[in-house]
Amino acid sequence: MKELQKFAYPVFFVVMAVLPHMLDDRWQAVAITFLIFAVVALSQDIILGKCGMFNMGQALFFGMGAYTTAILNNEYGWSIIATIPLAIIIPAVFGILLAGPIVHLRGDYLLVVTIGFNIVFVQVLQNNLGGVTGGPNGIFGLDSLSFLGYDLMSQISVYYFAFIVLLLTLWVMHNLAGSKPGRAMHYLREDQLAAESIGINTRVYKIFSFGLGAGIAGLAGTVYATQYSAVSPEAFEFIQSVLFFSIVLVGGSSVPGVLIGVFVMFVLPEIFREFATWRYFIFGFAMIAAMIMRPRGIWPATFGKIPKFLIKENNHGA
Amino acid sequence: MAHNELILTDVTKRFGGLTAVDALSFKVESGQIYGIIGPNGAGKTTVFNCITGIYKSEEGSVLWRGEEIRGKTPYQIVDRGIVRTFQTIRLFGQMSVAENIMSGRHIKSTQRWWHGIIPTPGKKRDELKNWQKVEEQLDFFKLSEFAATPVGSLPYGLQRRVEIARAMAVEPTLLILDEPAAGLNDKETLELLDTIFKIRDKGVTVLLIEHDMDMVMEVTDYLTVINFGKKIAEGTPEEIQKNPAVIEAYLGSEDDDDE
Repeated sequence: MKELQKFAYPVFFVVMAVLPHMLDDRWQAVAITFLIFAVVALSQDIILGKCGMFNMGQALFFGMGAYTTAILNNEYGWSIIATIPLAIIIPAVFGILLAGPIVHLRGDYLLVVTIGFNIVFVQVLQNNLGGVTGGPNGIFGLDSLSFLGYDLMSQISVYYFAFIVLLLTLWVMHNLAGSKPGRAMHYLREDQLAAESIGINTRVYKIFSFGLGAGIAGLAGTVYATQYSAVSPEAFEFIQSVLFFSIVLVGGSSVPGVLIGVFVMFVLPEIFREFATWRYFIFGFAMIAAMIMRPRGIWPATFGKIPKFLIKENNHGA
Repeated sequence: MAHNELILTDVTKRFGGLTAVDALSFKVESGQIYGIIGPNGAGKTTVFNCITGIYKSEEGSVLWRGEEIRGKTPYQIVDRGIVRTFQTIRLFGQMSVAENIMSGRHIKSTQRWWHGIIPTPGKKRDELKNWQKVEEQLDFFKLSEFAATPVGSLPYGLQRRVEIARAMAVEPTLLILDEPAAGLNDKETLELLDTIFKIRDKGVTVLLIEHDMDMVMEVTDYLTVINFGKKIAEGTPEEIQKNPAVIEAYLGSEDDDDE
């Protein structure tokens, strides 16, 4: 599996880098959707997969990033690129503030609370709070991407924007895996009492995972708003959160697993378009089958990221 | 410099109507191997949970180096140099032995939260340093060959050793072992004794609960015997063996307790 990954990652990156030049408009749009939802699913993986927090409200942070970009662009005339810092920071701060009082809740209770947050968020958008969210219709007519005076109107530019965001996300996740906060999240997921008894302040790392996951989802929201030049409340409904949650569980808490999950959920229905109405039906059965046959996901999380010098000759396992 | 002393005074812990620990007092001095023994259900583990912050005792005080630690959280207590193991082994089952031991380096690591997002040269040095400390523990506990093995697939005796190695990675001042010999065979118990003496030789104070009387008599310097949450005797192993109250607690209850 490790050898396979060594090859698979460069191949994946090269294919993704040249992909838009081989696709027509429609398929470029599908590819962009794949990239955006992959980023959101990976951000969900940080909270749900790495940290084990049952968060069923990831669409909230995704939407908050998208709306931040849309409002700043539409109301205040900021360029899309200029909105990025706030589109990360605002969801991240909200993630921290919302997580603070609730992270001590046990899995299922936390799940219900995050569903509640998501529903409240969509209600706020639909009721046009502060007169800036555009109500049920949302906000449309956003500017296209521009950078250093260049207009990047084409869909290919949006694709590369999304691709860069995905690479950035993968880089952050790679850094997280080999760091003290990343390991602390694994420990507390495996056994919270043992983690506390070895000196880990679990509350801090739970809130950290929410902040980081929300920030990345917010960045994906900016790309989403750019792709459609519009945002509307129904894209961030609670059912979207359910999809992201399921992708991480079914795919397994690993980058290949999450990417497979996003592909199955968002790209396959486009390939078999005539069956589009069947997609929830098929995905539902796929979820049932995957959970029964592979309870830890299609491509489960692999542990054992330890430095080479620790692995001695005639080692057991690994 | 404050002495590395742990002093419990009149510690009382109640669960509803049941008084699990009743006005218990004892004092662990620096460098000792201190034992707490007692029949099943005597409240030994509850005492440990009160010391390590898993429970907060209703009354009494727990002084560590002159500081009141009653009511502190478990990670705050680890930060002050007290680390424990569990009677029912609590390891991170899916993770490798090396990663499990690395968890003990958590509070020694100088990394901050942003190092989880952006790497710096300082982080790289810190990672390397802590993994080297893990290597030391792997060598000390003769676990090197299992470094990459998921801990859940190891036999019970080795898992006990990993748990002690993880606690020692914190570089504690006081190591608390909750029935470290439970489930071990005779050979493994002898190895454990050897390990405990080596740990003491490193300057670590050891506080342990044990059922295995032979082991307790051999390893400890000083003992407290509790029954029904109350102290019934204390003294050196020789004194305890002759104490009539202890003999009664152990032998007199043989019908309902075969430990």
